[in-house]
Amino acid sequence: MALRLLLWLVIAGGLAAGFAWAPLVPVLGATTHVLYLHVPAAFVAFIALGWSMLHSVLYLARRDMRHDDHAAGAAELGILFCVVATISGSLWAKAQWGSYWNWDPRETSIFFVLLIYAAYLALRGALEDGPRRARLSALYSVLAFVTAPFLFFVVPRLYASLHPSPILPSREQGSMDPRIRVCFDAMLVGFTGLFFWMLNLRVRLGALARRHAEVELEPPDSAVAAAGRGTR
Amino acid sequence: MSAWSSAGAMWALLRKEWVSEWRTRWGLHAALLFAVATLTAVSFAVGRLADRVDVLAALLWVVLLFAALSSLAHTFVRETEGRTLTLLRLVASPATIVFGKLLFNLLFLALLEVVIVPLALLLLGGPPPRWPALLGVLALGTLALASATTLLGALTAQARGRGALFAALALPLLMVVLAAGVSGVRAQWEGGAVAPALRLLGAFAAAMLGATLLLADHLWEE
Repeated sequence: MALRLLLWLVIAGGLAAGFAWAPLVPVLGATTHVLYLHVPAAFVAFIALGWSMLHSVLYLARRDMRHDDHAAGAAELGILFCVVATISGSLWAKAQWGSYWNWDPRETSIFFVLLIYAAYLALRGALEDGPRRARLSALYSVLAFVTAPFLFFVVPRLYASLHPSPILPSREQGSMDPRIRVCFDAMLVGFTGLFFWMLNLRVRLGALARRHAEVELEPPDSAVAAAGRGTR
Repeated sequence: MSAWSSAGAMWALLRKEWVSEWRTRWGLHAALLFAVATLTAVSFAVGRLADRVDVLAALLWVVLLFAALSSLAHTFVRETEGRTLTLLRLVASPATIVFGKLLFNLLFLALLEVVIVPLALLLLGGPPPRWPALLGVLALGTLALASATTLLGALTAQARGRGALFAALALPLLMVVLAAGVSGVRAQWEGGAVAPALRLLGAFAAAMLGATLLLADHLWEE
């Protein structure tokens, strides 16, 4: 409970401070505020993809359904954060480049990452619940993660991109205003915490659904016993 | 299994796939018909594109990609529907099966390209290509395409709605091949450097082949 409260405080505080306390980046003007959502969301989308791949590999090695819950949950949340990154990036592009969508290589890359997540969920939808679905989804998740670095880092270098890289001066360059850095770091930590909190809920829900399905399949006597064990 | 016996098994699998395909030829026919119909429709709609090598390069790869997607999964679907996969798994390891099918997919794509590329140049009116550069991009693009889709074919053959699912799963992964292929074909026409596209296609193919090798053992239950 305390951790959850702290998480919301960090996000709300980071966002409020970004609007009210941190200065604007001169070139970006008021669009600086969008970056407090856009960059952490894109960062967490990549973490989600990595988390999904990690648990997919662990599932293939150990065949434990909890790893499948983690992989599926991370992919579902990855879609959510990808959508946030795409929409916020699109708003920023409208203000800076004059159009919501420019087919910039980075815009296109994040869109294809979104399609990869959607394809992963489509695959899960085409398979029955159980170990086969977990195994085949894990295989696709690993293939998707092998593709991701090419989409994120290599394809944008092949085509001219309007997207600044890096968008804000790096820590090494030392020219970022410390107040912007504080808000930015708070949002990064907050979004990462939000991802893991939501993932935890999703994993627990998956375990409960599996247990529920098991109880429904058990003979009546053992189901009552199992329900009794569950309430204790 | 030694490397020699694996290579022998892969060769046997390639021959078996070729004979199976040659008996019915529906996969090859479907892909070729799709490609010819698409090229004809496009050339009728937009005319000759000799001065638009950017559009020409994109159209060439889009036709190649979709023609390939219409048939690349069928090597595994044929085994599943004919209930012959179990027998195949008794005589060869999963990696051998996957790499044998991959060799066949390479041959299949090469046959497609022998027809599609000259036809596209003829119908859409492309300028004379730099053949070594164009063939290099096509060869590495084909390897990247086959290495990414063979494992996916094995995977989707075990799911419902195989045909549509295969395209939905493959397209986002193949964006890299499409981007690098279009960039390379366009560069060879514009006199630019083809090496970055070749490097990207080669690296992607190597990554996919490595992943296929590592994941093949998990494709089917014991």
